[in-house]
Amino acid sequence: MALGILRIIKFSLQDIARNIGLSFMTVLILILTLLSVNALWSLDILTRQAVLLTKKQVSLSLYLVPDVTDKQVKELEAYLKNIKPVLAVNLVSRSDVLKSFQDRHRLTPEIIEALSELGTNPFGPTIIVQAAEPTDYKMIMDSLNVPEYARVIESKSFAEHEDALERLQNITNRVERVGYSLTVLFAIISFLIIFNTIRVAIYTHRVEISIKRLVGANNWFIRGPYIVESFIFTIISVAATMGLVYLALQWLDPYLSVIFPDNFSLTNYYSSHKLSLFGAQSLAVLILTLVSSSLAMRKELKV
Amino acid sequence: MIKLEGLNKHYLTGNNPALIDINLQVEPGEFVCIVGQSGAGKTTLVKLLIAEERPTRGKVQIGDWDITNIASNVVPYLRRQIGVIFQDFKLLPKKTVFENVAFALEVAGESGSRIRSVVPQVLGIVGLDNKKYRYPGQLSGGEQQRVVIARSLVHRPKLIIADEPTGNLDSINTAEIIEIFKKINEFGTTVLLVTHNREVVNALRRRVVTLADGRIINDEHQGKYII
Repeated sequence: MALGILRIIKFSLQDIARNIGLSFMTVLILILTLLSVNALWSLDILTRQAVLLTKKQVSLSLYLVPDVTDKQVKELEAYLKNIKPVLAVNLVSRSDVLKSFQDRHRLTPEIIEALSELGTNPFGPTIIVQAAEPTDYKMIMDSLNVPEYARVIESKSFAEHEDALERLQNITNRVERVGYSLTVLFAIISFLIIFNTIRVAIYTHRVEISIKRLVGANNWFIRGPYIVESFIFTIISVAATMGLVYLALQWLDPYLSVIFPDNFSLTNYYSSHKLSLFGAQSLAVLILTLVSSSLAMRKELKV
Repeated sequence: MIKLEGLNKHYLTGNNPALIDINLQVEPGEFVCIVGQSGAGKTTLVKLLIAEERPTRGKVQIGDWDITNIASNVVPYLRRQIGVIFQDFKLLPKKTVFENVAFALEVAGESGSRIRSVVPQVLGIVGLDNKKYRYPGQLSGGEQQRVVIARSLVHRPKLIIADEPTGNLDSINTAEIIEIFKKINEFGTTVLLVTHNREVVNALRRRVVTLADGRIINDEHQGKYII
């Protein structure tokens, strides 16, 4: 048994070395396919990150009347926090609202002067509500249509942005759908490329397979070297792809840091997910090569 | 050694049967020539003997082994006990002469030390011990056929089946190969030589079985090529 396994490994290494051109092309096609998959994968990660970033920037501002009491504000805050899709509720105090207004208009002295002539702070506090999805804001708005709270809310920012939010939601949905479709399409193309590469490799060995059968090799002795070759091709192609992907990501990351302000890095993403990302790719390539070679050899091994 | 009883073979794609009612018995140590024109059924007969094909009807027996309906997973064991030689050599192109011969022992699970001692001996018998590191592509047709003979001899089979072994060779190489077969036969190995080479058959003066249109039409113990 052990002798048989050692011989199978020896035959597969011999086969790779003596058919170096074919082995090289097989590995090269696997690498190119994996690189395409990783490029699409990265694009999908970036798209999701961009969508997430945009969604984070959307919020609902509730401008409260100036004479609202602290008790009413606290009640409203508690009420909002109990609404399910609400992720965060932030209170901006009256003085902070005034300060922010003054900062915004510091270059227009007429406004600042008019404000000082009032003698008091005319602004009420503001509550900023963040929801999980842009579609949730409509529901939060509807929940606020009770007389108890409608009385203390002077205005809401959401009404002005409703159309924009709806458009954003449509765009993000469409981007996600296109992403999924591209992933499925690439998966099919990758499957066909790998399947045909392995089939061609086996096809070139069909005479050898028939000779091996003729001298009394059993099916496992014939199949074995191709299985070992599948393992070797998988390891080499995934390792080479990992190296190339990391090189590309390090080149790309400085450009991404400009677009994504919150320290987002694809290299970090790949590093923290490398087991699942490259493990899944190794498994997929291995299964594909094994299945392809088994299917291609089935005909040759039939007695 | 070989016993064929009422053997018939019909291919699904062909109109005429390839073999019809073949009855043949070959004794151990015999040298038998199977002759006939192209399409007579010679190669089909070889395929049935090495279990490359299954008979439509009848019985095939090698030694005491009924291989009529041999299971696919047992076929390798049958082939390790028969030496098979073909016109187109069937050598592994990416293996050296030594590796090609050794391969037949490796698949049978023989130890490395036995392979290292037996293979050079067999290569010596066929006169190729000085070319063991060459690849088949670097050898002449006659030399390649001698490698195939070495490979078929390496596990000391009791039966050698040669299907047109001289078909691709010139007259000098043909004579050398036939001499090797005669030597093998003298050591007690049964030889079944399938050929349509009239000169070879007539020079051998051994048993000749003649096939025509899938039937045995003549079987002579010191025969000649009659078609």
